[in-house]
Amino acid sequence: MSVVVCPACDLAHRASRAPVTERTRCVRCHALVQRRENRHIDAAIVLAATALVLFLLSNAYPLVEINYNGTSRAATLLDAAEGLYAQGHAALAWLVFITTVLGPLLQIAINLYLLIPLRGKRQAPGQNALFRLLTQIRRWTFVEVFMLGSIVALVRLSGYAQVMTGVSLWSCALLMLTLAALTTHTSPAQFWRWVERSRP
Amino acid sequence: MTTHVTGRSLGLLHCLQCHATVRALNLRYPRCPRCHAHLFERKPHSLGVTAALLVCAAILYVPANLLPVMYTRSLLEDERDTIMSGVLVLLNNSWPIAVLVFVASIVVPLLKIIALSVLVVSAWRRSPRQRAQRSQLFRMVEFIGRWSMLDVYAISLLVALVQIRTLAFVGVGWGALCFAAVVVLTLFAARTFDERLLWDAAA
Repeated sequence: MSVVVCPACDLAHRASRAPVTERTRCVRCHALVQRRENRHIDAAIVLAATALVLFLLSNAYPLVEINYNGTSRAATLLDAAEGLYAQGHAALAWLVFITTVLGPLLQIAINLYLLIPLRGKRQAPGQNALFRLLTQIRRWTFVEVFMLGSIVALVRLSGYAQVMTGVSLWSCALLMLTLAALTTHTSPAQFWRWVERSRP
Repeated sequence: MTTHVTGRSLGLLHCLQCHATVRALNLRYPRCPRCHAHLFERKPHSLGVTAALLVCAAILYVPANLLPVMYTRSLLEDERDTIMSGVLVLLNNSWPIAVLVFVASIVVPLLKIIALSVLVVSAWRRSPRQRAQRSQLFRMVEFIGRWSMLDVYAISLLVALVQIRTLAFVGVGWGALCFAAVVVLTLFAARTFDERLLWDAAA
């Protein structure tokens, strides 16, 4: 008999090899204990590739554009961090850069680097450390919050200037959904199940 | 009352990185055999570290709300906005967005600091009362924490957009840095808090 321990309250549960329901919750604190991990690695790779394209689109085109007395100005995702840096707020600039640009990029890159060899039953060098890094980065990627933040900025400016949404705002919204799907497809339990299956 | 069998009582460790259940060996610094992450029975110095982070966040919450987060300079007027006056400006444009920003930037950080403090004190006292509800409270705090970054992003975009020299200019105030620090500190505080401590005396 194998045992799983609830991550939230340490209660021991009998692990089932084939869970009947999609999610098994702790009987005491109702935290998620086990999930049915039957996703396909190809789906995860496709999601990561899609996210990469959306990420490039999001950074190549302007997010929003304003028109003020005949002068127009557009801002890209990177401009948001750069503007803060130019004003001497390096710490804030880094925070915005990491959570909106570097975080998603690393998340996509690490996923592709680990999953493509794993698909051919091989393990990428540095796999364990990189997957641990990936689970950390996921906690610091706030694309969905940034989306809402740009809407707030647009509403604030709408009284003073003519505002237009750019291509990037839409690709960013899709990126947010793709990253969320990618995260559920490559949950730690699922990832390690693929790794164990790749071992002879 | 029924006694509960826990991982601790069985000598099992839970890897917080890969969620493997591992038999605890008598090592000084055990590592997970599957993903090589450090294993702890409980996060080390959880309550102390969380309390320290919360104190810092609570102190910075004051300048975050009093100092201006944004300067606006235009032909007609010079303005300095705090978080609250920013909410009032938004109220003229769209009240749902104003309510959203008010909740995300003022209510949530404050409630987060209070909730985590309650959790730390109750875990420290090994309070047996309403464990399930406190556990749920912690999960909620963890979930909503990131949404407080909303205003930081809105300001960063305003700064990037409104740079039409001589016509209009938006600058960042030190309040924004304090505010971001509050959000980051409370995010770390939620990470360092070990929710299993809420349940430990029950077993």
